[in-house]
Amino acid sequence: MAPFTRTVSASRSLRVLAALLGYPGAEMRQHLGAMRALLHEERALGGERLAELDALIDTLQRGDPLETEAAYVQLFDRGRATSLHLFEHVHGDSRDRGPAMIDLAQTYEKSGLYLAPGELPDYLPAVLEFVSTQPPREAREFLGETAHIINAIFNALQQRQSAYASVLGALLELAGEKAQAVKIAPDDPLDESWVEPAVFGGCSTQGQASPGQPQPIRIVRQPIPAQGAST
Amino acid sequence: MSHFLDRLTYFSNPRESFSGDHGVTTGEDRTWEDAYRNRWAHDKIVRSTHGVNCTGSCSWKIYVKGGIVTWETQQTDYPRTRWDMPNHEPRGCSRGASYSWYLYSANRVKYPLVRGRLLKSWREARLTQDPVDAWAAIVGNDATRRDYQQRRGLGGFVRSSWDEVNEIIAAANVYTIKKYGPDRVIGFSPIPAMSMVSYAAGSRYLSLIGGVCMSFYDWYCDLPPSSPQVWGEQTDVPESADWFNSGFIIAWGSNVPQTRTPDAHFFTEVRYKGTKTVAITPDYSEVAKLADIWMHPKQGTDAAVAMAMGHVILKEFYFPDSGKPRSAYFDDYVRRYTDMPMLVMLKEHQLPNGETVMVPDRYVRASDFNGKLGQANNPEWKTVAFDESGKVVLPTGAIGFRWGPDGRADQGQWNLEAKEARHGNAVKLGLSVLEGDNPSNETAKVGFPYFGGIVSPHFANNASGDGAADVLVRTVPVRRIALGKEGEKREALVATVFDLQVANYGVARGLPGEMAASSFDDDTPYTPAWQERITGTPRAQLISVARQFADNADKTQGRSMVIIGAAMNHWYHSDMNYRGVINMLMMCGCIGQSGGGWAHYVGQEKLRPQTGWTALAFALDWIRPPRQMNSTSFFYAHTDQWRYEKLGVEEVISPLADKAQYGGSMIDYNVRAERMGWLPSAPQLQTNPLQVVRDAQAAGADPKDYTVKALKDGTLKMSCTDPDHPDNWPRNLFVWRSNLLGSSGKGHEYFLKHLLGTSNGVQGKDLGSDDAKPAEVRWHEHAPEGKLDLLVTLDFRMSTTCLYSDIVLPTATWYEKNDLNTSDMHPFIHPLSTAVDPAWQSRSDWEIYKGFARKFSEVCVGHLGVERELVLTPLMHDSPAELAQPFGVSDWKRGECELIPGKTAPNIQVVERDYPNVYKRFTALGPLMGKAGNGGKGIGWNTQTEVRQLGELNGLVTAEGATCGMAKIESDIDAAEVVLMLAPETNGHVAVKAWQALGKQTGLDHTHLALHREDEKIRFRDIQAQPRKIISSPTWSGIESETVSYNAGYTNVHEMIPWRTLTGRQQFYMDHPWMIAFGEGFSSYRPPVDLKTTAGMAGIKPNGNPEIALNFITPHQKWGIHSTYTDNLMMLTLSRGGPCVWLSEDDAKRAGIVDNDWIELFNLNGAIAARAVVSQRVNPGMVMMYHAQEKIVNTPGSEITGARGGIHNSVTRIVLKPTHMIGGYAQLSYGFNYYGTIGTNRDEFVVVRKMNKVDWLDTPATTEPALDAQQA
Repeated sequence: MAPFTRTVSASRSLRVLAALLGYPGAEMRQHLGAMRALLHEERALGGERLAELDALIDTLQRGDPLETEAAYVQLFDRGRATSLHLFEHVHGDSRDRGPAMIDLAQTYEKSGLYLAPGELPDYLPAVLEFVSTQPPREAREFLGETAHIINAIFNALQQRQSAYASVLGALLELAGEKAQAVKIAPDDPLDESWVEPAVFGGCSTQGQASPGQPQPIRIVRQPIPAQGAST
Repeated sequence: MSHFLDRLTYFSNPRESFSGDHGVTTGEDRTWEDAYRNRWAHDKIVRSTHGVNCTGSCSWKIYVKGGIVTWETQQTDYPRTRWDMPNHEPRGCSRGASYSWYLYSANRVKYPLVRGRLLKSWREARLTQDPVDAWAAIVGNDATRRDYQQRRGLGGFVRSSWDEVNEIIAAANVYTIKKYGPDRVIGFSPIPAMSMVSYAAGSRYLSLIGGVCMSFYDWYCDLPPSSPQVWGEQTDVPESADWFNSGFIIAWGSNVPQTRTPDAHFFTEVRYKGTKTVAITPDYSEVAKLADIWMHPKQGTDAAVAMAMGHVILKEFYFPDSGKPRSAYFDDYVRRYTDMPMLVMLKEHQLPNGETVMVPDRYVRASDFNGKLGQANNPEWKTVAFDESGKVVLPTGAIGFRWGPDGRADQGQWNLEAKEARHGNAVKLGLSVLEGDNPSNETAKVGFPYFGGIVSPHFANNASGDGAADVLVRTVPVRRIALGKEGEKREALVATVFDLQVANYGVARGLPGEMAASSFDDDTPYTPAWQERITGTPRAQLISVARQFADNADKTQGRSMVIIGAAMNHWYHSDMNYRGVINMLMMCGCIGQSGGGWAHYVGQEKLRPQTGWTALAFALDWIRPPRQMNSTSFFYAHTDQWRYEKLGVEEVISPLADKAQYGGSMIDYNVRAERMGWLPSAPQLQTNPLQVVRDAQAAGADPKDYTVKALKDGTLKMSCTDPDHPDNWPRNLFVWRSNLLGSSGKGHEYFLKHLLGTSNGVQGKDLGSDDAKPAEVRWHEHAPEGKLDLLVTLDFRMSTTCLYSDIVLPTATWYEKNDLNTSDMHPFIHPLSTAVDPAWQSRSDWEIYKGFARKFSEVCVGHLGVERELVLTPLMHDSPAELAQPFGVSDWKRGECELIPGKTAPNIQVVERDYPNVYKRFTALGPLMGKAGNGGKGIGWNTQTEVRQLGELNGLVTAEGATCGMAKIESDIDAAEVVLMLAPETNGHVAVKAWQALGKQTGLDHTHLALHREDEKIRFRDIQAQPRKIISSPTWSGIESETVSYNAGYTNVHEMIPWRTLTGRQQFYMDHPWMIAFGEGFSSYRPPVDLKTTAGMAGIKPNGNPEIALNFITPHQKWGIHSTYTDNLMMLTLSRGGPCVWLSEDDAKRAGIVDNDWIELFNLNGAIAARAVVSQRVNPGMVMMYHAQEKIVNTPGSEITGARGGIHNSVTRIVLKPTHMIGGYAQLSYGFNYYGTIGTNRDEFVVVRKMNKVDWLDTPATTEPALDAQQA
């Protein structure tokens, strides 16, 4: 990004995107119409994105409420690939996750925002809400820092053909990144990844020429033990 | 960032020293240190632990910053041990260290979840109806009910609110109680010791509403029934520090470094003292690597090894050749502390070949004699012996002395002082009738059942020598004694247990014409040579180990120890494995001696402040008795595993038993046991127990009398006689602190099919009415599917059990709640503490159940008020009811006796439940503690002082109502304080009172064991500061002291407190008619049973690959969080990353399997898909699948079932053993988790085959309830 480009505020769009990633319970669904209107009003996003988001909002509005909720639970409340907790994708189960979360919470606090109980600091809607309170340029930079994670979630959602991918796509756009469907490298083929490397090149021990070959006998002279008392 | 340019290369800094040049001040840049400071920064350190069902009980430091857990390390502040012993720390293993992940895991349950279809019906019904009626509408309509039942395990959860789920659950409970009865509300949670307040939360709620708490120790098959049989003790073991006091340790089927990781250091350290260690495991296990000697008998044949070792010990230390004397220590020990001197009647028995032999019958009792040996109190329950002159004497200590009215003549004679009860003179009991001034010169041919010759397709037998027949006939010295009063005089032929035991082992003692082994090389039962064919263990190795084991015990007065594990206990005939080993320990005087004894470490847990906890947990402060059930029998009946039973009673009966008398099938025995009050029942009666009381009132009868009459005339039926009748189904099930379906549901696929009514992998057909053998149980042509209306699971991660539940509730993790934790592996009590608030919407178990209670009290109004109902309880161990039927077995239903509640039938009590006040009662300490006192294990004490002090500590309820003025139990800490205040282990005053109470029974003063700590009261804040050593209490058989480590049986041996058995002594012999009929009067070797689950399965769905049958073994692993969770990615990374099965190179070759192939294991019960680990470690003939590998991680579809490859329990089905059902007979009486049927599973065989197609089933299910593949 050119540093002196005037950056448009996307504050309200970010709030809407945060809300869209929230649980599609009855209360949230009531506000879908308003959300749609806000997005179109602020015009922080391109027409194509808006159309995609409209489609998501339509799905949420029209779908059977409980099935919509069940789909959300299936997608976001379980499993790692589409988790909305950013550090799940960076630190996973490692101990680094705790310090990373503390760091993030402190970042919020520096801006005078204190995380309410009930969610972790790396929950994407929380992050978005924070970003929405920042001046446009900082917001954009902050989003940019997380873009690689957002992109990973975006791709995981695309793979699952989920309409929610549009929200992540929109975020990437706001971050100034191209929402490209990065091909997710499939897990290593399990069989190959678990093959144990041959020890000693497949030979039973040192001295054998190759597997299946007889092993030469090596005669080693035993050192003569020292006699008597040593110093 | 690089600090390269910050550093000066050519200049040095000014230096300023201090502290006499020990320190130097420099001006260098130190910002690089911030990285470390930040990395290890924390606001506070909180003490907690991991409350999984692991007995490690390790205290941990939890580091918290900004409300977030950052990491944990092991605590190192345990109180020191004695100067000459290693410390306990460090305790804690890699699994614990990887735990903090669970807090923030993507797999964490974050919100209350309900299956969408259920919630939809609920919300619809709720629009027009009150909660209870709404629930009635849902479950009253079969289509609605089946609609969500069939989706169990297939996703579709939506978030709900606490308010809503509480209402659904409360409504379901109220409806179930009203319609069917409170005993249809069931709760399963295991191993309370690991987080006892969390357990108590659920059990208190259930007990207040009349629900049923399910047992776990027996169900897990961790309970060794041999322990109650021999000692009258559920399980009591040495702490791990006591290993360090041992001189010789055998680790037998126990993989110490792998499964007891924090304790294993003692096992290593003791070797530096010169202690020898032996490992006995079929595979080359971790413990085998650690030991000096590795013995590897074929799996399942350990009893043969133990019998042969016992043979060596008896021969060499009791009847040594070449004029060596008998071990004086052993001789004295077995005379005083075991039933060896007790007299057993012999009765005639005709063998099929026409020969008449004598067979051991029951112990001789005081009541057999003229004048009953002067005993007015319980003469039928007092056993007798000979003294040195050959005269019959009545030693003190038998169970008859334990019970009776206060002030009776024999009060205070329940002790092991070597005294004659009638005059109090010292007496030396005779071990053999050949001893003393007046030796008997009579011998008899006595028959003992022999099972080692049974031909099995998978296990080698030995039918040589005496073993050619199924009865061993051996020579036993006997004596004739006169019995009966004047005019009814009769003679009886009797023998001592010792003489019988020596003959049973086949040990030669130089009797004329003796039928016994001539040498160790004689191939006849139970010599070292004999066992070679069965176990494959070289006789020389066995003789050497047995000799060293006994020799060490002889020289050190019992410091030989056997650490014994699940590999021994999980077999159908585990009692033989165990008793074989226990016999060795008793014969060598090791029980009750520091450094010696029986160290059974199998899910044994130890809830140290037990008697304080039971009051809270089972709401004994409000209503007694609580409802408790043995899970094995329950699940056998209610998952309909009994309908598939293939093991016939005739296969396990003694060859000496009357086959006509012992027919039927396994469930028939269970029904009889429930009817006679031996085992508990749940549900209890087919009629709602609230209704029974109403009916009785309407009839103007006393409810108890009414029930007796109705049971007799058949108008009232016990539920056990028809478990498939809808009125007898369990309806609501709570699971908490457990992964019932993912790790501990033996017969997993039957659970899914019948209890849950969803897709499953059951392959076999049930027996069908034609060849169904149950005589006592009604057969329904179509087995029910989906008995449960509601399955609720509380967990912090989405386990397999959660996936199958209707409602999943997010519970606090072990760093988010306050609780108590104890273990038998060390003597400390320490807490779980709230390091951080429960994340997301999770709540502690205490708060969750409190929430149910509150909602229950609201929604029950108009449906349930103050109600009276009927509770049936079995004849409980450690209560006078354990003296029920001294001779023979009489069944009222068969007209063999009267129906007398509490004697020949379950106890029947009417209790009152105040349903609208459930919440108030939940949160206050009820009046019964003050009125009825507290106690446990057969003793009781006044506890008014503690009740008052609790009020002072916790505060009193001030709100008007039913609990005003009572001590508060509002928070989890309040609840913990109740436990700590009431328990002798944590309150010195109570400990002294408890020892005094016991002293009344024994006539001895034991208070010196606690007096020095009388003023000590351990509070929750104390243990948060540091783990505290508990106070000695009569609840346990060992002591906490500065001179000895905790060891089981210590107070029996050193304080002369009897074992809680019939004879008051450790028992080699079991004289109950069922024990004898099932061939287990004396111990022997019994091969694994044939469960016939692979028959007919071979080639049924061929995929072209070879199929081989192998024995299925499920040991514990080191890559899961104990036996519950195997979904920790860090742990999985260290293993194969998903379900795997170990097999030997030979078997792999036979089946064309190479390492890491996908293979399938299947039989009639179901199928498993997993990876193969081909290893030299494993013996041919078996496969090992580590316990608790869940189907939520890396499990593809099965080629056999078409459904997702199951869990390790998918190929198992439980089988009951009638000897475990015995009740009302001294130590063979029911107690919760003390005695009862056990869920054995290692006799199982599976077909193993390489898979052709690995299908991950990762596309949406095409069919609506995916049941199509199942029914094929």
